[in-house]
Amino acid sequence: MKQSKKTRSLFKKILVSLLIVLLAGAGIYWYVANETFADTIKRRSAFTVNALDFIKEFQLNDTAANSKYADKIITVNGAVSEIEAADTTVNIKFIDTSTGSYAIFAFQQQHLTEAKTLKIGDMVSIKGSCSGGIRSEILGTEVIAFKRCALNKK
Amino acid sequence: MKKTFFLCTLLLATAFLFAQKKITTSATVAFDATTSMDNLPKAENKTVIAAIDTKTGVVQFEASVKNFAFANPSMQDHFNGARWMNSDQFSKFTFTGKIDDLSKINFSKDGSYTVSVSGNLTIKDATKPLSVTATAIITGNTISVSSSFSIKLSDYNMSGGSFDSGKVSKEPKISVSAEFK
Repeated sequence: MKQSKKTRSLFKKILVSLLIVLLAGAGIYWYVANETFADTIKRRSAFTVNALDFIKEFQLNDTAANSKYADKIITVNGAVSEIEAADTTVNIKFIDTSTGSYAIFAFQQQHLTEAKTLKIGDMVSIKGSCSGGIRSEILGTEVIAFKRCALNKK
Repeated sequence: MKKTFFLCTLLLATAFLFAQKKITTSATVAFDATTSMDNLPKAENKTVIAAIDTKTGVVQFEASVKNFAFANPSMQDHFNGARWMNSDQFSKFTFTGKIDDLSKINFSKDGSYTVSVSGNLTIKDATKPLSVTATAIITGNTISVSSSFSIKLSDYNMSGGSFDSGKVSKEPKISVSAEFK
């Protein structure tokens, strides 16, 4: 009789523990599946750089530069060289005119309206997720791309 | 006088050649590998480099793998990870091809033209032939190109648990748009 009570009690404890583990797992899965990227403007930059110096760093050694900057939030300061608008979107570029190499910034939806107000020559500070640099075979230049960008208010 | 004339001719010829090749650095490529089980595997890259040569019909696209933006951070990590695109090692997707029936397009006349484009698509270390239908809309000096098609990821040596479980489509839909000015 005593043993039967002990066994039932143990069984209940195991069942409750399993239920807690399952619920915790389901909660974690739900959180991961529904998580979205935060507004970039609220994120901390790993580096703040001058646009031309930044581009030159990639031109000199893109392996080292990619290791340093890729997959990080970077703030880049410079004068707008080019604005490429298409349909509902706009990209901003800083270009090293001596080589044609450039950094290009694609904006988060909530920051597009503000980005569209920029003009060539404007001094700006852009914060974004750096995807690293690639050597373009089409252009023969270094291209550093950013996604989820926002205009950084100094 | 002769030297000046020769230099002017050379400059004009160079300018003409460059005018044949149009380039944009803001083409968009999106892919949708969602299924009924998972609506997360879809992303867009708005900084794709694209070129079209109106004389030869050669078409080129170059996309940074890491600049495909997902809404979900976990999916972004999986996509670039060593078991998927391995983007640290294979940093670009590229397509090089040609408009099959270039004579169908009159680049000097406004209008909408449907053409076939054939070439090679490279994903990671696999290069496979690809033929797609594209629409080219001519408006003055602007050429707007768009295309939607599917690819088989198994052709590019991609397979595994996520495909077998039905969470990622084995034949994602790819949408391309580019505006050449």
